[in-house]
Amino acid sequence: MGRTGPAAEAPVARGGQIVASIRGEPRTFNRYVAADQASELLSLLLQARLVRINRSTFELEPWLAETWESSADGRTHTIHLRPGVTWSDGMPLTGDDVLFSLRAVYDAKVDSVLADSLTAGGQPLRAAAPDPQTVVFTYAAPSGRGLRLLDGLPILPRHKLEPALTAGTFASAYNTTTPPAEVVGAGPFVLREYQPGQRVVMDRNPRYWRKAPDGSALPYLDRIVLQIVPEQNAELLRIQAGETDLTSSELRPEDYLPVRRADEEGRLRLIELGVGPDADAFWFCLKPEVKAKDPRFAFVQRPEFRRAISYAVDREAFAETVFLSAAVPVWGSITPGNTRWFWPDIPRYPHNDATAKMLLREIGLVDRNGDGVVEDMKGTEARFTVITQRGIGWYERGTAFVRDELARVGIAMEVAPLELGALIQRLQACDYDAMYYRPVMTDLDPAGNLDFWLSSGPSHFWNMSQKLPATDWERRVDTLMLEQAAELDPMRRETQFRAVQQIMAENLPVLHFAAPRMYYAHSARLRGVVPSVLRPPVLWNADSLSVSP
Amino acid sequence: MGRFLARRLLFALILVLVVSSASLLLARFAPGDVTAQLGPFATPAEIANTRARFDLDRSPAAQWLLWAGRAIRFDFGDSFLYNRPVRGLVGRAAANTAALAVVALALATIVGIPLGMFTGSRGGPAAAVVRGASLLFLSVPPLLTSLFLVFIAATTRLLPAGGMTSAGVLDTEWSAWLLDVAIHLPLPVLALALPIAATLERLQSQSMADALHQPFAVAAVARGVAPRDVIARHAWRVSLRPICAVYGLAIGALLSGSFVVEFVTAWPGLGRLMYEALRARDVYLVSGCAAMGGLLLAFGSLIGDLLLAAADPRIRDAQVGA
Repeated sequence: MGRTGPAAEAPVARGGQIVASIRGEPRTFNRYVAADQASELLSLLLQARLVRINRSTFELEPWLAETWESSADGRTHTIHLRPGVTWSDGMPLTGDDVLFSLRAVYDAKVDSVLADSLTAGGQPLRAAAPDPQTVVFTYAAPSGRGLRLLDGLPILPRHKLEPALTAGTFASAYNTTTPPAEVVGAGPFVLREYQPGQRVVMDRNPRYWRKAPDGSALPYLDRIVLQIVPEQNAELLRIQAGETDLTSSELRPEDYLPVRRADEEGRLRLIELGVGPDADAFWFCLKPEVKAKDPRFAFVQRPEFRRAISYAVDREAFAETVFLSAAVPVWGSITPGNTRWFWPDIPRYPHNDATAKMLLREIGLVDRNGDGVVEDMKGTEARFTVITQRGIGWYERGTAFVRDELARVGIAMEVAPLELGALIQRLQACDYDAMYYRPVMTDLDPAGNLDFWLSSGPSHFWNMSQKLPATDWERRVDTLMLEQAAELDPMRRETQFRAVQQIMAENLPVLHFAAPRMYYAHSARLRGVVPSVLRPPVLWNADSLSVSP
Repeated sequence: MGRFLARRLLFALILVLVVSSASLLLARFAPGDVTAQLGPFATPAEIANTRARFDLDRSPAAQWLLWAGRAIRFDFGDSFLYNRPVRGLVGRAAANTAALAVVALALATIVGIPLGMFTGSRGGPAAAVVRGASLLFLSVPPLLTSLFLVFIAATTRLLPAGGMTSAGVLDTEWSAWLLDVAIHLPLPVLALALPIAATLERLQSQSMADALHQPFAVAAVARGVAPRDVIARHAWRVSLRPICAVYGLAIGALLSGSFVVEFVTAWPGLGRLMYEALRARDVYLVSGCAAMGGLLLAFGSLIGDLLLAAADPRIRDAQVGA
């Protein structure tokens, strides 16, 4: 395990192809209008950004932008494009392409999924190109994320797509019926073929601008094939059979043992990526306008109630049982996998049933009739239904574990696994008591996830899209997060975010029990792998991958 | 015969209309909708736009009318999952399923009917082994058969563990492509053909045993006709009637695609497409797949009727007279 690494690499061989499996179809080759995993992966392979966040070190790297300067107030960033870069069709890539890309992102008819994340102080970024190699970005307000924002903006060719933007048809440009040769990009690969239900084939971009450390052209590989395998067991069998070289996502806990055996036999390489950046999450719907008439809301909205639950769940046993030991206990949304923002001293709730019962007693929840379930003064039982997604092993194990833990302190919980569509419908309508799920943070920097932290955010899932903060502590979090997002001093940002984590840990709108350790498998012939806990774990660095001869 | 064919065509049209409309409405009424694919925290604007694009912001009746009006012009709407017109997707998937179905049916026929003739006309340990094997293949669910075959393929590496073609076939001649498809066929074909072969064997066996006890067969034996000739020239044709009746259903079922087999073996056919569409509540793709499935079911049923008429003159006369 862990045998992959640059130090162990043999001399790099050029040519060859790798086959990676993906679970779903790409919806488009235009990342501006789709956020599905396959479209995002294709965008990484076919397009290039101005800057790149290295998925292994999390540092900002020059990409199409070779150098840049930022003003002291953090509002102006002057970037200098790498000279001599051309699109895959040979046309030069200039500042006009960058301006065009920004125009497309903010165009109302395009309704881009990237627009919300490309803002500073809630306003779109403005840009000007004083010459073909220079672009000056002006932010409406300072942004703590600085140029990291631009990692989310694939630059698209103006000469190919401007007519579509002008005609109002940009949203359907670069769709999956577009002839492959028309999908021009500046990424390491160019589209060769897409067969729905079967595969996407990409060939090496002979005009790719990036060079290897020895000065030779990248990428090393001649071709990448993304094989569409919708079933996860079949995906595992295929990599074990040597038909694919890698999968698009991490292994499930139950797949670890067979893959470890294959690793020991030399057929596969098993890598431990580390603790994942996303923890599981358990929360109650706390929307007063929906739940006010529910007599249970009187105690569910009390932080003491949620703290009692936190004390009642044995996180060590949870990680062992639910994730088959491939997880670590967590007490907040930021896991040890997010090394930059993880706060090890976040308030914790060590497992203690007596403390949990005491907290329940303090808010008037006592088992008055001896049936094992606590009630309030009016006889309302602490009895709930928790919904989760059907068919995902650890979701179902997790809810069953929590149910058993809470039963010991007198909270009765039934588990209702639902299809994803029904689950989301309930979530959006707040038509549930409690929910167990694993939301994925879109950015490791908390300022990139304001939709979760701010009370007005659509991902503030216990009470989404509030017009005004429902509680005083949410108001304080809003203020701190907006300050943190606009702060340029890294130390101050860290202090502000710790204050946010402190408030969240005290009020527990969301309870986190464990963050899974992530494992990944790839074929033994793959070289140049730099694993990341972020998706895609290996293909983010596709231009430096090669295969042994 | 013309009236018979016209009647069957009308039946096919009604079947397609009813099945596709019912699928559209059921997919519409089921909990959740296609916007779930946008993720749990999609913005209200994204959800509203997607619902408008797929006419989910209209009443079910209005949506059906809109869809039916377009479907008359062979425009079955767009798929959310694939972001392209349903018509092309369904056509391609149906062709892939048809290739699978034809080979599976041929294999099931070649194996099932001779074995049924054998077990229906003879006893002994060999016939008992065949009967046992048939019962086994009839009782094992296709999911288990598919998973078992994929597992065997993956561990032995004798055959590809799934898919329809290999990744390396892109730059090759069509003959190499065909060979590659042929290499990928055994897994799904076996998973589909084994239970059908077992069904045909059991039916043929029973039917052959009955035919051999009919007076004409007994008389032929009494006239000194060799047993092999009694079976081949006299009893077999009579025994085909129940086989032909089932054959039509088998053709229809195979052509409309197997959810399980195509999903597990990653065969890009109609069954897998329908399964993915249903999971995503991709309404227009669901109704497009259902329409094509209904059409192929009607086609299979027609083939079954024609075979039945060929095998039994009484039925042929009744069909022509009708």
